[in-house]
Amino acid sequence: MEISSSSLASVGYSQARDAVSPSPEGGSGTISDFVQSFTDTVRNGEETAKTAMLGGVEPHALVQALSQSELAVETAVAIRDKVVEAYQEILRMPV
Amino acid sequence: MNDFTSALSLSASGMQAQAQRLRYVSENVANADTPGYHRKQAAFEEVVQDAGFSDTETPKAVTLGDVTLDESALPRIFQPGHPMADETGYLDGSNVDLVVEMADAREAQRTYEANLRMFDQARQMSSAVLDLLRR
Repeated sequence: MEISSSSLASVGYSQARDAVSPSPEGGSGTISDFVQSFTDTVRNGEETAKTAMLGGVEPHALVQALSQSELAVETAVAIRDKVVEAYQEILRMPV
Repeated sequence: MNDFTSALSLSASGMQAQAQRLRYVSENVANADTPGYHRKQAAFEEVVQDAGFSDTETPKAVTLGDVTLDESALPRIFQPGHPMADETGYLDGSNVDLVVEMADAREAQRTYEANLRMFDQARQMSSAVLDLLRR
């Protein structure tokens, strides 16, 4: 009984290993895509603000671009906070 | 581009179109007494905003189409001393109706407000869903 449950645990562990081990193509692409689109949004907001100061762009486009970069920054900050919080939670774990 | 950001840009396109409409209205009002002036009008058109979506759910923004002139008859005004009057003493006025222009301006204002509310709504919704992460 004990042997079977421990072997079950080891099977579960070996199955879970695949999901948590880093791989060069799995997952990293989506994160870099997210970072790329985040950078594009913020850069677009800055460019639009700069053009608006020179009078080259409508105020609606300025408000829209700034709102979009505000939302993007909010999303990035929320995700970062969550990741840091999870990491600290792991560090606090008694060993 | 997710649905919230495209809602933001669609509302911005609506506000832009209404601002442009108000510009034509004020042009008409400013020229209400100009002899021979034809009222300017423009229709709204649907445009594809960005190609990041599949065909069925491509967001359609609004834009103002080409300006056309109102070709209805110009009123004849009797003003013999005017330099543009013909030998009978009449001249062509403008076909701008101030009541129509006021109604148009008020409609532009209301639609602008609706778009503004939609913009604010989309922003509030996406902020609210991110607040869930913060607790």
